[in-house]
Amino acid sequence: MDLTAIKSDDNVLKPRPQLAAWSILSPLFFWLLIFVVIPTALLVVASFCDRDGLGRIVYHSNTENYLRAIKSPYPEIVGRSVYFATITTVICLLVGYPVGYFIGRSTEKMRNILMMLVMVPFWTSFLIRTYAWISILAQDGLLNGFLLWANITSQPLHMLYTPGAVVLGLVYNYLPFMILPIYGSAEKLDNALVEAAYDLGAGPVRAFSNIIIPLTKPGIVAGIMLVFIPSLGMFAISGLMGGGSQQMIGDVIYKQFSGANNPPFGAALGTLLLIIFAIGLWFSNRKQVQ
Amino acid sequence: MGKEKGISRLPAGPEVVRWLFGSWSVLVFAFLYVPILLLTIYSFNDSKLNIRWKGFTLDWYRALFQNDVLLSAFKNSLIIAVVVTLLATVLGTVGAWLLYRYRFPAPRLLGLLIFIPMVIPEVLMGASLRLLFVSLHFPLGYWSVIIAHTTFCFPFVLIAVQARLDSLDPALEEAALDLGAKPAGAFWLVIVPYLMPAIISGALMSFTLSMDEYLVTVLTYSADAATLPIKVYGMVKRGLDPQLNALSALFIGATAVLVFTSEILRRQGSKQPQ
Amino acid sequence: MKINRSFIKTLLTVSVGLLACASSQAAEKLNIFCWSEYIPQSVVEKFQETTGIKVSVENYASNEEMLSKLSGGGSYDLIQPSEYTVEALIKADLLATLDSSAIPNLKNIGPKYLGLPFDPANKYSVPWMVGSVGIIVNTDKVKDDIKSFSDVFQPKFKKRIVVLDDARELVTAALSTLNINCNDITDENLAKARGVLKDWLPLVKVYDSDSPKTAMLNGDTDLGVVWSGEGALLQRENKKFKWVIPTGDSHQFVDNLCIPKKAPNKANAEKFINFILQPEISALISADFPYTNPNLEARKLLGDEALANTASFPPDQQAQKMILFKDVGKKASDIDALITDLRAE
Repeated sequence: MDLTAIKSDDNVLKPRPQLAAWSILSPLFFWLLIFVVIPTALLVVASFCDRDGLGRIVYHSNTENYLRAIKSPYPEIVGRSVYFATITTVICLLVGYPVGYFIGRSTEKMRNILMMLVMVPFWTSFLIRTYAWISILAQDGLLNGFLLWANITSQPLHMLYTPGAVVLGLVYNYLPFMILPIYGSAEKLDNALVEAAYDLGAGPVRAFSNIIIPLTKPGIVAGIMLVFIPSLGMFAISGLMGGGSQQMIGDVIYKQFSGANNPPFGAALGTLLLIIFAIGLWFSNRKQVQ
Repeated sequence: MGKEKGISRLPAGPEVVRWLFGSWSVLVFAFLYVPILLLTIYSFNDSKLNIRWKGFTLDWYRALFQNDVLLSAFKNSLIIAVVVTLLATVLGTVGAWLLYRYRFPAPRLLGLLIFIPMVIPEVLMGASLRLLFVSLHFPLGYWSVIIAHTTFCFPFVLIAVQARLDSLDPALEEAALDLGAKPAGAFWLVIVPYLMPAIISGALMSFTLSMDEYLVTVLTYSADAATLPIKVYGMVKRGLDPQLNALSALFIGATAVLVFTSEILRRQGSKQPQ
Repeated sequence: MKINRSFIKTLLTVSVGLLACASSQAAEKLNIFCWSEYIPQSVVEKFQETTGIKVSVENYASNEEMLSKLSGGGSYDLIQPSEYTVEALIKADLLATLDSSAIPNLKNIGPKYLGLPFDPANKYSVPWMVGSVGIIVNTDKVKDDIKSFSDVFQPKFKKRIVVLDDARELVTAALSTLNINCNDITDENLAKARGVLKDWLPLVKVYDSDSPKTAMLNGDTDLGVVWSGEGALLQRENKKFKWVIPTGDSHQFVDNLCIPKKAPNKANAEKFINFILQPEISALISADFPYTNPNLEARKLLGDEALANTASFPPDQQAQKMILFKDVGKKASDIDALITDLRAE
């Protein structure tokens, strides 16, 4: 899955745009400018501002927000978010790779059916999918109900509002995001190559690690990015499944635009997060090119 | 090189892999589906969320359809999603086509800018747009949500259309131009029909993403533009509720129908004569 | 080709239809921004039926959240700030003056709830409900005699506690155990509060200002610091829940209905205020959300059991010890920052 939207290699052969083309494309340019570029710039600008007693932004430049953001506990929160995001990504990769590969290598009919089966949870609102697990894990939920009825336990278990519940919520949400790109990669594998991999006779494990996994690398990388990045910035799930005691950086940033009433500080945290992403993306892009 | 394994190559190789991965996939699908299926089943349970089955009932669905707040929110979601789909489809399709056809300056920068809304964490997109609206004194409401949704939906359409353009035979457009059509005409009469499967799949994706979106919406909406996910979040926070089960079941059903339709359209599209 | 044209045509017709539908909703409107679990849906519906005005409700769980959205561009006709927030909003000239001729039912409010320091002439606010922040205990699970906030935050109750998701309330509880007045917000006092809260917050299982009773009812927590109305509901629900007014200071709040200066539907807002001041309507509100009802005419309709609920109507001597919050200006950001820092750990 090529993540850069524009291929520049065959660019030279294309004609330069005329006025008509420019004017038709201009809405897109303006949209990107006004709703992507400028807001990001505003985020950075706001991060250097202050707030008044009512939480409104005061344009009085200072670096207080950044000084606060690099002090405890914020690096720890970022650390915790990275930790959760990493665990989620690893679990999604281990769980999802075989599925994506299996679908990708199936016959066309099976592929279509299985893809539809993956799409349904993928397209279902994350709130509903999270609620599904809440109704299972809650104190008065289905799992406890079953355990009590089957006399396996005498007291309901506390399963919700734990770090494990948060990871479960994240994995459940992002698993389809891992399966899809891997499926895409696996589907495009040249049959001959795959057969050759097995023919070389070293057994399936070797065939996989030496040949097939490297060949599906674009899918793996895409999957990692599609899971890691959003889960890093996720906010509602940690509240719903974690009860507010497992705050992630996304929660803290959102809170600054809500109950904590401090948009400039939220902007500072957001800008730092963006920088982390930009660096990460830049690295992964370089690796891909190599 | 290579051991002589003869005909018995298969059991050691792909077959084992297929069985292993296949069974694993069954487990994973179970993991994905059991929770939502349970939700659906229990939405018909005639008891307030007991594990015991007390009898089949449509009460919760009835209550749902009398729930004015949710119905009103659903209407909002629908209006917003339709407008978003229109805008995103137009922006995405036209954008993909022109970028494919012409050599615009700074292609990598453009690519990056289009890529950003797809991967940026929603909280940052919502927060930055909120800052934009505040500084422009633009009131929060329907249009702020529509703008926010469109911004992160159109890249999906654009990428879907681009993927289809990858396999476009340039001769197609040339033929149309040869027959006397102007570039715009060629676009409408020849290119768009070819792109239709991608456009539709992109449009359906936009629609679904917009209907389901909570994180960006919560930062850019205001009272009378409350969407269904906003209200659902409020309900989820308050704990287990059989009406919520019914709502979830409906959502899942609707999604399944959408996925199915999208797939049928896609297959129809790929059968269209070139 | 066919799919092309007809698909686009349908899409266009549908969207034009829906947009027309949306704009035809420009009948009389009212946008209410209020605390969650404070205005019953039945009251909203009755108002809609009687007046034909379409009401939209958005919720918040703290005054700070309300301020955030208000300054963030939300456009509302009616808000429900607590006493200290009314003070701050008046200072910042963000509230509209109420047209008292449009709100004749104001006479139903008891005199001791009118003319309060934050709005002496009731030019900008009408009292909605009075309440306090106190302690609720599940006596089946907790056998100790809980009397103060310090009794709640003991290590043995680790992860069995629910508290409000409200920075100022948490700081107030901490200051109360240090015998510091909750309006005396100085850097020094905040540092002391920080020391206390640093020990308290890790013991909390759930932060919830919307509906803290949920965590108590489903057994996730055994005791907590919650709103008096939630405490009253729990006491009503089951005798095992006991409401405790803490020794030491506690916060008594007066929540009010106010109209933002830029409200697009001011007249409708005033209609709503007058509507809920009717005794029958006010009694309905109390039935769902049993806070201390300042509407004396409504109290006559409440019934003995409701009036005897100590969480709804605390005995006078205890009520007298409670304190109203004052606006602390810029220090509010320090309070928010303190809790953000501690909760993030």
